[in-house]
Amino acid sequence: MNPLAGAVALNLAFGCSILSIIALIAYNRTSDFRLFLVGQRLGLAISFFVFISTFVLGHQLMISNFDIDYVARYTSFETPTVYKISALWAGQSGSLLFWLFILSIFNTITIIQNQSKHHNLMPWVIITLSTIQLFFLVLTNFITNPFEPTQADFEIVNGNGLNPLLQNITMAIHPPTLYLGYVGFSVPFAFAFAALVNKDIGALWIQSIRRWTLVAWLFLSVGIILGGWWAYQELGWGGYWAWDPVENASFMPWLTATAFLHSIIVQEKKDMLRVWNMVLIILTFSLCIFGTFLTRSGVMSSVHSFTESSLGPVFLSFVFIILVSSFGLMYSRIGVLRSPRRIESVSSRESGFLFNNLIFVVMCFAVFWGTLFPVITEAVNGNKISVGPPFFNQINIPIGLALLALTGIGPLLAWRGTSNKRLIQNFAFPTILGLLSSMFFIFLKMSVYVVISFSLCIFVVAAILSEFVKGAKVRKRKFNESLFKAIYKMIEKNRSRYGGYIVHLGIVLMFVGFTGHAFDKEKEFGIKVGDTKSVANYDFTLIKMYEEERPNHYAWITDIRVTDMFGNFVTQLRPEKRVYFHKNPDINKRQPHSELDIYSTLNKDIYSIFSSVSSDNLTAFVKIMVNPLVKWVWIGGYILAFGTVIALWPRKE
Amino acid sequence: MIDFLTNYFFTFIIFVLPIIYVVQPFFMEKFGAIVSFESTGVLKRKKIILYRQIKELEMEYDIGNLERKDFSNRRAELKREVSLIINKLKKK
Repeated sequence: MNPLAGAVALNLAFGCSILSIIALIAYNRTSDFRLFLVGQRLGLAISFFVFISTFVLGHQLMISNFDIDYVARYTSFETPTVYKISALWAGQSGSLLFWLFILSIFNTITIIQNQSKHHNLMPWVIITLSTIQLFFLVLTNFITNPFEPTQADFEIVNGNGLNPLLQNITMAIHPPTLYLGYVGFSVPFAFAFAALVNKDIGALWIQSIRRWTLVAWLFLSVGIILGGWWAYQELGWGGYWAWDPVENASFMPWLTATAFLHSIIVQEKKDMLRVWNMVLIILTFSLCIFGTFLTRSGVMSSVHSFTESSLGPVFLSFVFIILVSSFGLMYSRIGVLRSPRRIESVSSRESGFLFNNLIFVVMCFAVFWGTLFPVITEAVNGNKISVGPPFFNQINIPIGLALLALTGIGPLLAWRGTSNKRLIQNFAFPTILGLLSSMFFIFLKMSVYVVISFSLCIFVVAAILSEFVKGAKVRKRKFNESLFKAIYKMIEKNRSRYGGYIVHLGIVLMFVGFTGHAFDKEKEFGIKVGDTKSVANYDFTLIKMYEEERPNHYAWITDIRVTDMFGNFVTQLRPEKRVYFHKNPDINKRQPHSELDIYSTLNKDIYSIFSSVSSDNLTAFVKIMVNPLVKWVWIGGYILAFGTVIALWPRKE
Repeated sequence: MIDFLTNYFFTFIIFVLPIIYVVQPFFMEKFGAIVSFESTGVLKRKKIILYRQIKELEMEYDIGNLERKDFSNRRAELKREVSLIINKLKKK
C-alpha cells in the first residue's frame, strides 16, 4: 500500500474527530437523533482511518521501505520479522500512532457495544473519546508524523535496525500490553465524564465500566510484570524493579486504578464514596497520560526510555486540561455527588476499603514525589539531584506491608460494622497462624522486615482460605453438595468476589518473591577455561569459551558448569557477549550487549552475566548472582491474571 | 489500465464508502432521541443489578459478614426498589 494512503487516512481521521465532536454537541443542543447517528458514525470512521494508517505503516516496516524516515530509523533488512512488527511502537511517532490504534479499537468496541443502550451517556462518552483521539491525531499529523519521508540526498542502502535491547520477545509483548492498560482507562474515564455532565451519578455508570476497568487493570498489571520480567532477563543487573521513572510512570496509575477497583465495590453495595470514585478515575486516566509523557518526553533518563523529544509541554498541557475540566465539572456537580450515607464503624468493611484506598493514594503520592523531585529541584535551583531506590524502598516498603495486612483484614470485616464476637471468630485462625510463623522466622534470625512480610503473607493466605472454607461450607449445607462442587459453584456464582481473592493470593506470592530480595548474593570475577569460582554454596567452572557469527550479531559464548556444595551437577549456563551491527565500518555504531543466562527454580535463580572478555581472549569477566524466591514474583503474576480473568468472566443473568 | 482501476476501486472502498456511511443519517427523516426505549433498557438493567445485589447480600449473610438486623433491613430495602422497578416496567 502506498504510504501516502497512511498519511491521508491520518488527515481524514483528524477531520472526522473534529466533526464527531461538533455533531454530538449539536445533538445535545437540538436532540435531533440524526446528529447523534452521524457523530457516532464519525467516531467509527476515526477508528477506521486510524486502522488503515497503522496497517500502512506496518506494511512499510515489513517491506523495509527506507524512503520513510521512521522505517529507516528502526528497522534494517536484517531485522527479524517479529521485531519489524514491534518496531511499530519502538520509536516516538510509531508508538503514538499505536496508542491511537489501541484507543480506536476500544472506541469501536464501546460504540458497537452501546448502540442500543446508555443513550443519555453515549454522546458524551463519544465526545470524550474523540477528544482524546483528537489530541493524539494532532500529535501524529502535525508534530511527529510517522509517514515523514527520509531527509537524505542519497539513496539509503539499509536502515539503522532496532535497538538490541528491544530485540527480545518480552519487549515485543510488553509495550502493547502496557498500552492496552493505559489506553483502556480512557473508556471508564469517558463514562465518568459523561455521568458527571448528565448528573447521572448512580450505580449504573459504575456497572457499565466495571468490566472495562478490570480489563484495563489486567493489561496494566500484566504489562508492568512483563516490564519487570524484561528488565530481569535483558538489562543484566539482576533485579526486576529499580524505581526507574518509566517504571514509576506505569505504577502510579496502577495504584490509583487498584484503589478505584476496590472503592467502586462500596459504591455498588452501599452507594458511598461517589466523590472518591470520581477523583480516582480522573487521577488514573491523568496519570496514564502523564506516564506516556514521562516515557516520551525525555524529561527523565530511564533504562526503559528509547526516545527523546520535545513533546513534553504538549502532553503536560493535555494533562492540565483533563484535570481542570474534570475537577471543574466535578466541583459543579458536588451537590449530586455527595452520598447521603456515612461510614458507621471503624471495624466495618467500608472503612477497610477506605483505609486501603488512602494507603494506595499515599503510596502513589510518594512515588509521584520521588519521581518528580529531581526535575522540580533542577528547575528551581539548577542542581541535579537523583532520588534512587533507597528513598522509594524506605517509604514504600512499610506502606506496602500495611497494604498487605489490609488484604487479609478487609475480607474478615462485615459490612456496616463487625461485632466483637464476630471479630474474634473471624480473626482468630489467621492471627494465630501469623503470630506462630513470626516466632518461627524470628527464631531463624531473619531481619525485621522479612519477619513482618513473611508473617503477613501467612496471615493473608489464612484469611483468604478461611473465606473460601466459610463460603464452601455454606453451599455444602444449603445445597447438599460435595466440597469440590461447592467450591466450584461458589466461585462460579460469585466470580468477582472469589476472583478478587485469587488476585489477592497472587499478590501475596509476589510479596514472597519481593521479600526473597533480602537474601540475594552476588560476585563478579575473571575466569579462565578450567578455573572454578564459588558463590553462595555453588561452584562455577568455565568449561569453554567460543565465538560465533550470526545473521545480525557476533557473539562470544561461555560454557559454565554449575555444581552444588556436594559436587552434584546443577546446570550448564551459557551467557553471551554480543556485538550488534558488527559489520558496520563505523566502530561507534556497533552495539555491545550482554545476553544473560538464568537457571530458575522455585527457591532460587542462578543469574549469570558475561560482562567482557580480556584482550588476549583468555579470561572471561563474569558476574554471578544467586537470587532466592524470584520465581514467585512471576507465579504470583500468573495467579493475579488468572484471578482477574475469573472476575471478568461474564455470568448468565 | 487494470492497475489504475484497481487503485481507484480501493480508494473508493477505503475513503469514499466510510464518508457515505457517515452522512447517510442526514437522508433519513428527522426524529428525536429514543427516550422510552432507553428508559426501559435502563430499568431492566437496574432490575438485574438489584437481583444480583440481593443474591450477594444473602451470600454475605450466610457467610457471617452481615448481622441479622442489617441483612433484613437491607434486603427489604432492595426488594422495595425491585418491586418499584417492576411496576414501572409493567406500566410501559
